[in-house]
Amino acid sequence: MVMGLELLFMFSPFAVVLFGLLSERFKVAKLKESVAILLSAFSLFSVWQLYTMLQASPTKILVVTLGGAPPLGACFEIDMLSLYMAFSAALLGLFATIYSYSYMAHDTRLTEYYTLLSALVVGIIGVSFAGDFFTLFVFWELMGITSYVLVAFRKENWGSIEAGFKYMVMGAVGSTLLLIGIALIYGLAGTVNFAQISTALRGQPMSLWLYLVFAVLVVGFGIKSAIVPMHTWLPDAHSEAPSPISAMLSGILIETALYGFIRVAYLIYEPSTFALPFVVLAVITMTLGNLMALRQNDLKRMLAYSSIAQIGYILIGISTGLVYGLLGTFLHIFNHMLMKGVAFLSVGNLIHRTGSRDLDKMQGLGRMMPITTLALSVSLLGLGGVPGTSGFISKFILFSSALEANLSILAIIGVLNSTLSMAYYLRVIITLLGTKTSEGIVVKEAPFLMVAVPVVMTLLIIAFGVYPDLILSFASDASKALIEGLANYIGVVIR
Amino acid sequence: MTNDVIFIGAIFAMMCIGLYCVTQKSMIRILLGVEIILNAGNFAIVYFASYHVAQGFVDPLGQSLAFMSIILGGSIIAVGLALIVNAYKQFKTTDVDEMRRLKW
Repeated sequence: MVMGLELLFMFSPFAVVLFGLLSERFKVAKLKESVAILLSAFSLFSVWQLYTMLQASPTKILVVTLGGAPPLGACFEIDMLSLYMAFSAALLGLFATIYSYSYMAHDTRLTEYYTLLSALVVGIIGVSFAGDFFTLFVFWELMGITSYVLVAFRKENWGSIEAGFKYMVMGAVGSTLLLIGIALIYGLAGTVNFAQISTALRGQPMSLWLYLVFAVLVVGFGIKSAIVPMHTWLPDAHSEAPSPISAMLSGILIETALYGFIRVAYLIYEPSTFALPFVVLAVITMTLGNLMALRQNDLKRMLAYSSIAQIGYILIGISTGLVYGLLGTFLHIFNHMLMKGVAFLSVGNLIHRTGSRDLDKMQGLGRMMPITTLALSVSLLGLGGVPGTSGFISKFILFSSALEANLSILAIIGVLNSTLSMAYYLRVIITLLGTKTSEGIVVKEAPFLMVAVPVVMTLLIIAFGVYPDLILSFASDASKALIEGLANYIGVVIR
Repeated sequence: MTNDVIFIGAIFAMMCIGLYCVTQKSMIRILLGVEIILNAGNFAIVYFASYHVAQGFVDPLGQSLAFMSIILGGSIIAVGLALIVNAYKQFKTTDVDEMRRLKW
């Protein structure tokens, strides 16, 4: 059993706000930034500690009850899959916080910024640990509300306000639909605990109510995970947010929403039930994402649409319903986290120096900012699925799992889309490295930390591309925990 | 059965009214629409809690979930109001059509 000390990192936002106020009161420079970085490192360390505890436990599942036994009390139920998502979130959270140290140095209201950022990470980790709908919903809203504020953080820009408001309205409607879904499930099963819901509802013949629950859950989780046609908030929110926040949103938040759906759907339905709708959603999501990205001139907006396309690839794994397909899904979630993290952070460097997001004004920047451009190029090639990067491994698994599940049309459309996506990724690289230089632009390389973070992440991309065994076995454990470990997941709560 | 029809109809009607308000031009109206939709969700929870009666009392789990959801809904509305105040400070209007910059 968990003693609770490993979950102490969940209170890190309170520590950040405390130290932030102290540093403002006593005028200690850089105290809140340092505390935020230390605490996000502590979160990552705690996740690692939980991992070792999970390995040592006989059932491979940790249950933490909060206020009583499961039927009435809330609980965390931590299995390999939860830890996999939490690890991704904590890792990206650490990178984003370190990057913010330099990137946000000239902004005001930094206490609020770091508090919200650490609360966002805690919200994401809480969603992945949740063992019942009550906990899931509370952390879901924590994740949502912090991200609405962070998107609109630079309130002096009109774009941020509009993007934040749009995101808030759509996010609130989405979480209400999720709430209605929870209400329906609660009406059908009489409980909000995942394990008990699963014993009550799984294997039952599909009734009208269960179809309704499915539809509501797809829309409720789908709005946050930007599945087309519920994606309209994403390009605005991701392009208007500060770059570390864009990296967080695109890298892990939308995937966490997808994780929530996968977790709940596998508890209630047989995988064959939701194969067909997800084939359709995967096709339109990746195609529309890529087509829209092609016509963007705004670099961050292009990356935002590329995120939608990547969500489409990730959906392929879900629609196969195989362990192998889900392995691809989770592996791509991790790799996308790294690659899109690098992409947004290094684009943040370019914006930091030039003050513009317009691709036409960035011609020839590659010669002035060589390290940033190198990191950006590697990440873009990885997103396109070039061998040698980790993006290739996960895309290969995704497309081959589609072939294995006799969905060859999905694999073909996926590969075509991958090719299509190279058109705009290569355009960025050519613009940056080309001989033509935009007029009047003389910049130097970004500050040390802002270069170091993308470089470390780029090294990880290449390392996992050349030697994928480490993350592959972790992802494989995660996908097995979801499908083959389902009986175990239920059995731990219901003895 | 008649109860089901009435209450689920009411939840559906609240959703529709809320979604209609969200399509309006004024930011305040949009926010009110969000508030109505949020309340439809709370209403659904409270209604479905009444399916589960134990020892003469309605299951408290649904009620506590509804309380939590009301609090979270309040925070969302607070964020929305803060955004509207900021928008009004800059543009002296809250009409979304006049201020739209982000397209495609």
